[in-house]
Parts: sequence; C-alpha cells; structure tokens
Amino acid sequence: MNLSVNGVTHEIESSLLTPLLDVLREELGITGPKAGCHQGGCGACTVLVDGEPRRSCLMPVAYADGGEITTAEGLGTPEALSPIQQAFVHHYAAQCGFCTSGMLLAGQSYIDHGGTDDAEAIQTALGGHVCRCTGYAKIVEAVAAAARGDSFDLTETAVGKYTTMTTGTTGGAA
Amino acid sequence: MKVVGARIPRYDGIAHVTGRTTYVDDVRVPGTLWVKALRSPHHSASITRLDTRRAEELAGVHAVVTHADVPLNEYGHLSALGIPADEPLLAVDEVRYKGQPIALVAADTEELAAEAVAKIDIELEERPALIDVRQAFDEGAPKIHHWGNWYPHFEDEMDRRQIRKGNIAEAFERADSIVQGVYRPAAIEHAPIETQVCQVVPEPSGRLTIYTCTQALYFSMGVVAAHLQVPLNKLKLVGGTTGGGFGGKVDTATETMCSLLALKSGKPVKWRWTREEEFLCSSTRAPWHMELATAVTADGWILGLKMLTLHDAGAYARFSPYGLTKHSFHHTGAYTIPNLEFDGYVVFTNRVPTTAMRGFGVTSVSFAIETHMSRVAHVLGLDPMEIRLKNANRIGDTSPNGVVYTDPSTVATMQAIAESIGHELPAEYRTMTNERRSGELLPEHLVAQVGNPEDH
Repeated sequence: MNLSVNGVTHEIESSLLTPLLDVLREELGITGPKAGCHQGGCGACTVLVDGEPRRSCLMPVAYADGGEITTAEGLGTPEALSPIQQAFVHHYAAQCGFCTSGMLLAGQSYIDHGGTDDAEAIQTALGGHVCRCTGYAKIVEAVAAAARGDSFDLTETAVGKYTTMTTGTTGGAA
Repeated sequence: MKVVGARIPRYDGIAHVTGRTTYVDDVRVPGTLWVKALRSPHHSASITRLDTRRAEELAGVHAVVTHADVPLNEYGHLSALGIPADEPLLAVDEVRYKGQPIALVAADTEELAAEAVAKIDIELEERPALIDVRQAFDEGAPKIHHWGNWYPHFEDEMDRRQIRKGNIAEAFERADSIVQGVYRPAAIEHAPIETQVCQVVPEPSGRLTIYTCTQALYFSMGVVAAHLQVPLNKLKLVGGTTGGGFGGKVDTATETMCSLLALKSGKPVKWRWTREEEFLCSSTRAPWHMELATAVTADGWILGLKMLTLHDAGAYARFSPYGLTKHSFHHTGAYTIPNLEFDGYVVFTNRVPTTAMRGFGVTSVSFAIETHMSRVAHVLGLDPMEIRLKNANRIGDTSPNGVVYTDPSTVATMQAIAESIGHELPAEYRTMTNERRSGELLPEHLVAQVGNPEDH
C-alpha cells in the first residue's frame, strides 16, 4: 500500500485493517492526529483523506490506499502558518491543544467546500468534535475568521512586537 | 498594567496548531512495552485468591506487579500535610471501588498485555456496595472503610469540619420563617481528550525518566518517590504538556505503577488508558449532599444558617479533607449570615475516589447557597436579586471562619447581572456599593459580626 501524507509518499507495511491513525502515528511517526478515544467519538484523530474529513481511528488503512492524506503538520509550517492556523492562534482557539488538529482539519474542509462565517453552519461542520477546554466559542470564531479571509498580525501585543515566539515543542518531551 | 487586557500570544500556540506539540503519547522510545491493568470488577469485594503465574509465563510478558512489589504500598495524597494514608497503590486483600487496580502487566504489545491480564487467576467475594453518600452516612450502614464510613482525622482528631458562629438558637427563635432545602450535585467526569498516559524509561544511571501528563509535577514526584522509597534524585519527571486535566490529573494515577514495571522489566514502558477506563476508573468531581435550613425575617434578612454537608470521597480520602475545608470556609457564599452551625463530613462510598475539579469544595456550596437564596426569595415573595443585594458581603463583614472582607464583589456582580438581563432594581439597590454597613443595611443582628479590615 501507498499513502501520500502531506505531499510525501510512503510505502505502508502495517496490515490492511490497521487503523489509519495507528499507521500515521506508530509506523510513520506523524503525531499531529491524536488518539482521544479510538472509538470515533471525539474527533481528535480527524485527518483529510482526499480532502474529506475522516476519523482515522475508525478507517482501516486499506481504505486510504493510494490516497492523499493531510494532517495538521501539512496545513502550514511554524514559519508559514496557513490562514486557519493563524486564525486559531489569533482567537486563542487552541488551549490544551489536544483536540486542535482535528478541529483544524474539519474547519479546513468546511472552508474548502465553500463554507461561510455562519456560526450555525460552522457548529454543524464541527459537530462531532469534542473540546473540554474552550467552550467552543473561540473555535467557531476562528473558523469564521478564516472563512472570511481575515488577516492577522500574530506578533502584535501591548508591549510591542513579540519577536521571540518559539516554534518548537512546548517542553513536554524530547 | 501594560499587559492587562492586552493580546499576549500563547507561548505554545504555534506548536499546537501545527501538530508539533509533543504530548506524552507522542514520545517515541524504541522497545517500549505496553501496560494493562487488572482492575476490580466489583464495587466492593474481598480478594480471596491472586496468582499471576499464568500471566508471567506468557511469551512477550516482561513484568507483572502486585502489591507485593511496592516498597511502600500505602501513601496518601496529602501525606505531606500530615494526613494519614488510607489508599493502597495496588489492592491487597480487598477492593473498595469498581476499577481499582489490583495487578499490572507490561508486555510487547497492548493486545498481549490485555491477554496476560485475562490470564491472572483471581477470585473475589463480592460484598454489598454503598454508592449513595447519604446512605453511607446512615447509622446502620455497613462499614466499608477501616476508618469507619467517614474521615476521622481532622485537627484534634475531629470527625468533621465544624463551624459555630454567633448564636444559632436565638436566630431560629427570632425567625419569621424557616426555609429548608436539600441539594445534591452529582459526580462529574473531567473527560480530558487526552486520557491518563505515562511513559517511563529506566536510564543506565539507575534513574527513571518519567514522561507524565500530570497537572502537579512536583507533587507527583514526591508521591512516586515515597511509594518506591527512593530519593528524589533518582527520578526525572518530564511534564508541562497536559492534554486537558481540569483537576483530574493531580492524582498520581499512572506514574508510580509504570515506574514499578520499568524497574522490574528493565525496559521502557507506556500506559495509555482507554476512553472506557477514563470514564469508569478515573477520579471524578465529588457528588455532595447538602441540607440547609435558614432562619429568615419576613423582609428578607438571613439571620442564621444550619447546614449539614456530606462530601462523597469515594473509596479513599485523597484530597477530600482539603476540599471539605475550603467548602466550610465558603459555605455562606457571597452572603453574610451572622449565626452559623455547620457540620461537614468526608464520607466514604464504594464509588471511584473523587478529586480536584475546578474550584472543588466551593462550586458545590455555591450551587447550594444560590439555589437556596432563590428558594428563600420565592417563599417570602421577594425579589431574588434584592434579597441577594441586601445580604451581600460588604467591606468589614466576616466570613464563616472569621476573615474580614476587604473588597467583596457581590454587590457589583449582582448589579451587573441585573443590568445585563434587564432586571429593574429599585434605586437603593441600583446605587448601593460594597462600603461598610450602616443605616438600614446594619440592622442589630449584623452588628456583632462586623470586623475591621485594617486588622486583617
């Protein structure tokens, strides 16, 4: 089997029925998609398969064979964030960050399919995604901002330009 | 004040949105074993037989641990504060809640670890369980904890948190009405999207590196060191990245058990709870049972409050004595009540042990007192906003435990709420401030409780 993940093609060694999530995380080491429940209930594992949001914990990898997969790592880089990533940073839509990658991809797919900044439509699009930190309002605002094409200066603060923003890991682990 | 109200970027924002943040589950250590637990299938039972040999003999199993492998099996979450321990890390001869860990396995794969757990020989004699906190407090209830059914080790070995203020008998004699209510907020599961997870790596130096999702890193470090009976310099904890906690990740749920398996197997191990385990076995916010009786005047003064609180600790004490202490100090909420008789108990049940969650101890009493204030207003036929403003904490008023308020916010908060919902307040309430009581707002029954903020 072959998967193109964020534009890079990989030969897959896992067995046919291995969940796509486990292939991404364990075989390929792409850890943006999270294992929140392994039951399709939380949305943290959502990735785009040929542009459509899919629960990677429920999808056997064989179903994605030959497909184009996009994870949060593939939306943009720390040096060049995509519009929806900028919107999530600007609107504080990521708190603990564990649901964020799934939210971003569901939001991106919504926008790619012509979604507008209508709050109700955004809520429907993100309906299966659970967040326990934010109360959702900031996430909906961020997707709406990205749908409108708002632009942000992420370095702007009250104490002058913020120039030392780190782009690596958050100190959790090596 | 340059940063108050200003936009400050999250230090971890960019890593979060690009999938670069490394949570515990994202740490990659080659050769890592997977952990699974044998948990109690019953709320309450005696363990009559426990034999792990069949699990140990399974190919691919590298370590099995039980209570016999723990250098110090009982260590309390508040031991550092002098509160005695009551909870075994791994059950010995009895289990007191469904899901309580009894034995652990580390194996080559998660599936193999689960298979080995199923091979552990265990026999249990199920006993009747107490699930409701009010029933556990009944005189005739079966005893489910070696300390009795409620925590007996408050200061001076008292079995309750007790507050007495003013003259409660006189308040109830003087009352025009007595309003009673019982309030029972239920347990709440924190349900972080990241389940409990831990990775432990034994280092060649003899130290353990512990990757943890804890909310309380130094706390967990002390707990692990105590159970293992090793000095702190044998442990290196790596934390700071928590995929949601809300209080549910202050109990050291996985770190010690993974450390035992890493030491016994000599290999890195990882334990990631399933969503089912998180819901069924992780600690929750406590259920509470609160009985309130207030002595009130026809024009809406609260003269006195009698209150009985039963705080459901679940099967073991953990942080509950601390939670109940906070609860008792705040039990009149945003209001000043001069005559008090408060008795609060930390009651044991056969539920999962309860723990911290966003203001634990205080949210429960806020729910009770706010609901009760509206009930009093309803009984007296008064405006629920006005009765709150009348009895609001003001500068110089004293809390249940005698703290003098220097800048209470009840008045401003109530006024803002009234305005935001379009609730017309009479002029005297619309314009009142939180300044020291005087005139009509200092009736005789409140005089004795007023203190001097300068003395505070």
